[in-house]
Amino acid sequence: MNCEKYQDLLSDFIDGSLASQDQKSIEAHLSACGVCTEVRGDLDAIVTYCYEHRGEYDAVPNERALWLRISNLIEAELPPGSRTEIPQNAGWWFRLMNRSLQVSLPQLAASMIAVAIIVSVATTIGLSRFGSGGESTGLRSSGLTTVAPNGQPLVERYRQQQQTIDYWNQRVELNKTRWNPQMRETFERNLGVIDAAVNDSLSQLNQNPHDEVSEEILNAALNDKVELLREFAEL
Amino acid sequence: MSFFSPVSRNRVSNFITFLPFFVVLIVSTSALAQQRVSRQFPAGKNVRLELKNLSGTITVESWARDEIKITATMEAPAVHFNPRQTATGLIIDIVGDNRDRGDVGDVNFKVQVPTRSSLDLETRSGQITVSNVQGDLLRAHVSTSGDITLSGISAARVFASNTTGNIYFDGDFASGGTYEFKSGRGTITLRLPANCGFHLVATAPAEKIKMGEFWHNGLKKMGEGRRIIGDVGDGRASVTIMNYQGDINFLRR
Repeated sequence: MNCEKYQDLLSDFIDGSLASQDQKSIEAHLSACGVCTEVRGDLDAIVTYCYEHRGEYDAVPNERALWLRISNLIEAELPPGSRTEIPQNAGWWFRLMNRSLQVSLPQLAASMIAVAIIVSVATTIGLSRFGSGGESTGLRSSGLTTVAPNGQPLVERYRQQQQTIDYWNQRVELNKTRWNPQMRETFERNLGVIDAAVNDSLSQLNQNPHDEVSEEILNAALNDKVELLREFAEL
Repeated sequence: MSFFSPVSRNRVSNFITFLPFFVVLIVSTSALAQQRVSRQFPAGKNVRLELKNLSGTITVESWARDEIKITATMEAPAVHFNPRQTATGLIIDIVGDNRDRGDVGDVNFKVQVPTRSSLDLETRSGQITVSNVQGDLLRAHVSTSGDITLSGISAARVFASNTTGNIYFDGDFASGGTYEFKSGRGTITLRLPANCGFHLVATAPAEKIKMGEFWHNGLKKMGEGRRIIGDVGDGRASVTIMNYQGDINFLRR
């Protein structure tokens, strides 16, 4: 067997799915061949990386289009004679589908990144419009889709803040029984002040969804609430 | 006619005789229950003090010595109090030193620092008072209830915030400095020299921002009078004030 044959078997070798005779043969070859050992190392790293990052990537939005692009790439690699001849009277779709594209690896990577960005932007917009959860009803009912000072849509930011608040609230409730009455009173009174600010700004935003001042007060008050809850959750 | 029998009268007179002793005993017992600790630390001229208290007052004033003097009056004698000296100053962390020890009561601090000290003061509840300090940074934060009084202050960065309580600032704004004041419910008062220059963003409920003699037509009202924005004087310092429910007052010195 030459190096090419050994390299064809490397994937199965790494998976451990080869017959013991082939396994031994490859092991013997690898101990003597530096090139194949290097290829094996690369393949090993790729497999390990894929295994460690399994499930981190979302499915490609349009699988068919992607496979078409890949087949175009493969076709571009083939010798000119093997390419499909396009008849003179072929339709635009046939021409488009049978066009050979010369795409380099960086170009392919760039197009994949572009696809990923478009998908994430579409998802964010979709979530902010149709997202689930009842916490942001106050804002959504006002039709507010403006952007908070940090660049996030306000509804999304409010929803995230509310999740954080819920988390710390649960922690506070667990610890509250240990507090003395004075501490409990101080906490309730000050939380009431912040809640009043939150409610005031929400009510202002319901009347005027583009009220910048109320947006900032809401943002500041929610941050203060998280801070207060976090501090008292540690007591 | 007498209300008491002779025996009862005797008991009453005995009680009256010993009453002052009982009073003295009770007062001295409560005084002994409070513990006062005083420590002094050598410091340079530009020192930084970080003080993180759980509950109680913090009073800081400057003095003409290159030393920091801390006097802590503790409600509960068992409070852990371990000031740590660093290359740049001193750290007192009552929160960290008493973690998982439950309610340790109030600790009231009186601190004397060199005039050019930077201060980072924090308490969960209780007043913070700082006077005549001219360092680079002054941060005073009360997470719940407590007034903050800062007088005779000249610092490039000042941050004062509480949830319930008044904030009073009497000092100068340095050109290029940053000043932030924030309260949930309470009055924020700034007493400033007439020639003070700053860019202002002040936010409070409608018509609760009173600019006094600092008002001029170049200032812009936004959000139905809930925000005033614009330059006063040269506008070189940056001043941000937010009050959820209370007033914001400007006074000219």
